[in-house]
Amino acid sequence: MTAVDKNRPSPEWIESLRRRYPCEKEMDRVFTRKLQRRAGPGYSPVSLQTLCDSLQTLLKTQLDSTFEIREPRWLTGGASKIQMAFKLDWNQPGGGRSLTPMVVRMEPAESIVETSRLREYQIIKGVSEILPVPPVFWIDEDGKYFPYPAIVYGFAEGVTKPSGGVANVSGIGLNFGPALRKPLGKQYVEHLAKLHTWDWSRADLSSLDVPALGTQAIEWHLNWWERVWEEDSNIDIPLLRLAALWLRDNMPSINRISLIHGDYRAGNFLFTEHDQRISAWLDWELGYLGDFHSDVAYTTLPYLSHYSEDGSTLLASGLMPVEELYEAYEKASGLTINQKTIDYYHIFQAYRSGVIIIASSYRPVRNGKTHQDILLTWIMGAGYASMGYLRDKLEEVA
Amino acid sequence: MEVRPEIQIRAMIKAMVDVVLPAVDPEQKMAQEQARLVIGTLGLIASRLPVAYRFDRDQLDRYVSLSRELVALDKADEGGGQAISKLESLAERGTDVLSRARAEPSELESTVFELRAEVSSLLQSLHKSSSPEKWNKVNRLILDASKMEIDRERALVVAMGFEPKPGSIPPIESLLPQVNA
Repeated sequence: MTAVDKNRPSPEWIESLRRRYPCEKEMDRVFTRKLQRRAGPGYSPVSLQTLCDSLQTLLKTQLDSTFEIREPRWLTGGASKIQMAFKLDWNQPGGGRSLTPMVVRMEPAESIVETSRLREYQIIKGVSEILPVPPVFWIDEDGKYFPYPAIVYGFAEGVTKPSGGVANVSGIGLNFGPALRKPLGKQYVEHLAKLHTWDWSRADLSSLDVPALGTQAIEWHLNWWERVWEEDSNIDIPLLRLAALWLRDNMPSINRISLIHGDYRAGNFLFTEHDQRISAWLDWELGYLGDFHSDVAYTTLPYLSHYSEDGSTLLASGLMPVEELYEAYEKASGLTINQKTIDYYHIFQAYRSGVIIIASSYRPVRNGKTHQDILLTWIMGAGYASMGYLRDKLEEVA
Repeated sequence: MEVRPEIQIRAMIKAMVDVVLPAVDPEQKMAQEQARLVIGTLGLIASRLPVAYRFDRDQLDRYVSLSRELVALDKADEGGGQAISKLESLAERGTDVLSRARAEPSELESTVFELRAEVSSLLQSLHKSSSPEKWNKVNRLILDASKMEIDRERALVVAMGFEPKPGSIPPIESLLPQVNA
């Protein structure tokens, strides 16, 4: 029901989007690949055996000595990637014969967020200097060994929600309970501050383009998400168009470039219940170089939060009141939060949520492209709370 | 609103075929059979949904015709008594309903689709060409229209559990025009 057949994109249309929305080289590659493959087959279930066979082939190219893949099993969690846990019996470099728990994280045919496994790999390698992250071992960037691109992680201990905790799908609205909020909240803010003040220039982040100071980072990022909207949306939403125009007109300038997580919220970190420590930060696939306000604004979005037990205070990411989070972040990072820039990024993040939740959930399901289309149709329901927030914020600044 | 039955049913069938059915114990014959029946029923609903409205309208049209023919036939001796006058009155009501039920749901959907796209396209042009005063008015119109749209969309999906304060969302029925049952 559209002049452009987005389910069978023509090469001319793909090229026109590339010209209209120039973005980072690696993301351009990812988006172009997505569209070139869109008319291809949907996702067919992949068996554990197939994944083990693929893994075997990959490991033969990486390991010199004997190894054995043991106890493969499916992992749930997350809406975008297929995950298999297993144990590898191998000669770990520097560790001798070991039985190491690991996870394969593989893309489906088309995901709710199309991202780069190479970027994910490089970012995690880099930030492992400063934050708890799962170790990354190997990458199959183009799906040479696995049916689709994949990455092999070490298995990280911990849980995303407390035993008996409440959350909707993907950790949205996760309630940690009063006892956990303080210890987790403190680490949550300190880790964000560490990430944003980290000198990323020494790390190998070759798959990320480095923006100039000023507005280039946000301009690339707007191109990223406007392009995704054009590629994936079904029905048009005038409010999102209005938001995109406002975001272009009001791009804030930056004088420092931080590594941005891109999805910093409850549900994307693991913690160990016995000592209340954050044990691993996950889901780095939306990382990029840009303005630290972007992560700070994202993590204080009301639709990713919930109210305290007395119903009076909105807890950012279910951990602490918003103002308290700003204050703790400034103290931990030494950076100064500009409230006007936070307002900008609240609008940006609500816009991005609309793109992901409404457009990029719809398109893969329309074409049967993922292992959990039913989950994506459920997640689409979250898009309208974010649209309500976006509308109200635009009214504030209009 | 993208959360629509067409896409939801498609996803439900895929989940049943790819994930649920293969996990059902082959020895549990009733569970196997019912899982397959769920898939079949969902498939049937998906294929019949696009014609369901036309089917009902056609049915009403045929019953209105039959009723009129029966009423005309009875006019000669008026043997039908009270039943005939009731049927005549219902046939008139049926004709009225038919006269108001002309467009296909797919026509409604496609016209909304095109209007949305055109409004969005116009926004981009107006943004380039408008004076600040005119652009402010455009902004106001879009924000007001979006409020009405989003209020309804949120009400439609509130049961999915994504609202921080679900109690503040009015029931969808209260936001839509009233109809005669």
